Amino acid sequence: MMEKWFRSPSLAVLAGLTIASAIAVCQEPLSSPAHQSLVKTEAVEYLFPEQVTLAAGKPSPVALHFRIKQNLHINSHAPRAEYLIPTVFSIPEASGVRLAGATYPAGTDFTLPADPDEKLSVYTGEFTIQAKMIAVQGEHLVEARLRYQACDQNECLPPKTITVPIDVIGK
Amino acid sequence: MKRNTIVIGVTLLILAACAWAGWANWEYRKHAAEVALASASHAELMPVAPGNLPPEVAPLIGKPAPNFTLPDLGGNQVSLSAFKGKPLLINFWATWCGPCKIETPWLVELQNEYAPKGLQIVGISSEGDDLKPDDAEGWAHDKAAIAKFVKQEHMQYPVLINGDSLAVQYGGLEAMPTSFYVNAEGKIVAIQLGISSKEDMEANIAKALGAGK
Repeated sequence: MMEKWFRSPSLAVLAGLTIASAIAVCQEPLSSPAHQSLVKTEAVEYLFPEQVTLAAGKPSPVALHFRIKQNLHINSHAPRAEYLIPTVFSIPEASGVRLAGATYPAGTDFTLPADPDEKLSVYTGEFTIQAKMIAVQGEHLVEARLRYQACDQNECLPPKTITVPIDVIGK
Repeated sequence: MKRNTIVIGVTLLILAACAWAGWANWEYRKHAAEVALASASHAELMPVAPGNLPPEVAPLIGKPAPNFTLPDLGGNQVSLSAFKGKPLLINFWATWCGPCKIETPWLVELQNEYAPKGLQIVGISSEGDDLKPDDAEGWAHDKAAIAKFVKQEHMQYPVLINGDSLAVQYGGLEAMPTSFYVNAEGKIVAIQLGISSKEDMEANIAKALGAGK
């Protein structure tokens, strides 16, 4: 049967064209990248932990990890100028978990090209806040908050408060 | 027999080519995904070169500056139409904005230098905190911060508040500072996103003044 097909020149040509088309399809990307509109993303992203287990009723340390988008910086918790908005972590009341304290990393020095004389205290890249939390016994889906204000070298984004979701289990 | 061998050979060759094509396609898409990922995590607020404005604001060039009526710190309502016939530099700024703090002394100097030529600078504070109209405490806090900034920086030109309410008309106002240069006919002739230099501002002021002559 197969031999009969391939003895027919037209069938052989057709088969060749079909296979050639298949190769062409293989070479083509499955979907061409469409024009991507500017996606507005947060300047700061919460990384982890998603879940922590703490001793109920006792202050327990929790290291909270964040990442700032490339080329942006945010003011540290202790900016040098009064008019700048500090980075602050908080936990809403009545969430079953209380923030007993937070230790923020020291900011790094940063100067804007337009004013090389003024040193700013900022966070860039990844940073970690060492929080002390006191959890009531049970499981609590805490929506903690991080308030910050981000800039790059030339302009600034409005202050923002993002949700920091943590599943806290008090045992 | 010989024909069969040739056909099988060609088929294997084609299958091998197809396998290679599939592998190459997978590599291509993997690379594209890596580029897209890198692009998504890269969030630079690009200084915009003249003529290379983002699509949100570019259409405003050559158009009449959108009208507005905003309060000043004394509670007086001030409209854009109050400055009709004057070349304007409309500067959107915020109290928490470092580049705005750097730029403001330049604006104070430029107002003094170019006032004899008719230039009027109008500062519009855009704190970006989306206060509701009935948030008396929030507005009082904002006004106090703005008043303090105005006093510290010796801003002698009109300063209006609640610039956030103009975001739609003025191309989003997503980052501060943002300046619009308006000629005497009321048309926007230049837009500056972010801080640049006093010299760049003067070049844009020249455009605003030029059309009015």
